[in-house]
Amino acid sequence: MSLKVDHARCTQCRMCYIVCRELDINAVYVALDPLHRIEIDLNACTYPGCTACLMYCPAEGSIVEAATGRSVVPPPPDAWQAG
Amino acid sequence: MNPILEEFCDKWVWPTMPGAPGAEFRLKLTRDKCLQGWDALLTRTIRDIEEELQNNDEEWKKQHALRGYAAEGVHMSIKQMSAQLLSVDIGEQENYIDLQRMRARQIWDECKHSKLHADVLLGKGWVKDERELMQITEANIQPLPAYFGLSMMFPHIHPLARAAQNYYTEANACLGIMAYIKLCGDDPLVVHEHLSQRDEELMHFMEGKYQLDFYCTTPEAQHHVEEALGYLLHQLGGFGRSPQPGGR
Repeated sequence: MSLKVDHARCTQCRMCYIVCRELDINAVYVALDPLHRIEIDLNACTYPGCTACLMYCPAEGSIVEAATGRSVVPPPPDAWQAG
Repeated sequence: MNPILEEFCDKWVWPTMPGAPGAEFRLKLTRDKCLQGWDALLTRTIRDIEEELQNNDEEWKKQHALRGYAAEGVHMSIKQMSAQLLSVDIGEQENYIDLQRMRARQIWDECKHSKLHADVLLGKGWVKDERELMQITEANIQPLPAYFGLSMMFPHIHPLARAAQNYYTEANACLGIMAYIKLCGDDPLVVHEHLSQRDEELMHFMEGKYQLDFYCTTPEAQHHVEEALGYLLHQLGGFGRSPQPGGR
């Protein structure tokens, strides 16, 4: 499973990019084609093992589960509460 | 707890990255200090809005926009927030480059917010152009001893001290905006004034949350954040005694 960006809601603030890079996962990148938008590399993203970007994204609904389309911003309890 | 504050906390404050090294400190700071300030300021804001809505004229909306322009006007934002970039020494710039970039982005955001306030003043016909605002005192003053927390920056010069301002003060902005949109949602210009601010103030809050969770991991760094927060609670919330910078 992985995450993807809903560009209709993303404000391009880069918080997800900064957090992902800080953790050295580097799944978030800026796609040069066509609009220099923030994207998530499906192969590098370790969700649901890592949910860090979700905790700092300020744009409601802007990150979704790639497979299901479920919005995970703000983070649902299963993304951050153990057990 | 006010339902608006409860919603804000459930959505944006309590969700915490498992294993984030500074999260325990942030959550304790939130429970022990921030909640009290957030609740008090939100209660005051709601009371003010409800009183203002009793008025038959829109003078309060004009005053609100003028105060907003004073707080976030282009000339204020650029000068004051550019100075805040200096809170990171040259030798440490590489370590804090993302924070510097975020600060640069915030300067742009605040400048845009001033335009939103100007849109209300223009749209309602209260000023004929933005140049006229330079001649209106209320659009160029603030009650604080120094604009935009600049009084905080110089005594509290540690790079992470501003995390306290991003976390505490920007949450207050978010809560005020949530209240305005909820209570004044039938005025499209007021909604326009606040809608993009809502997302951007939340981003600034998230900057603070991120900094506290990831970098504020030593007693030394935490001490600087607590000092700055103590100042803000005293200055903006009226709580406690203003702490002495450097004092322990």
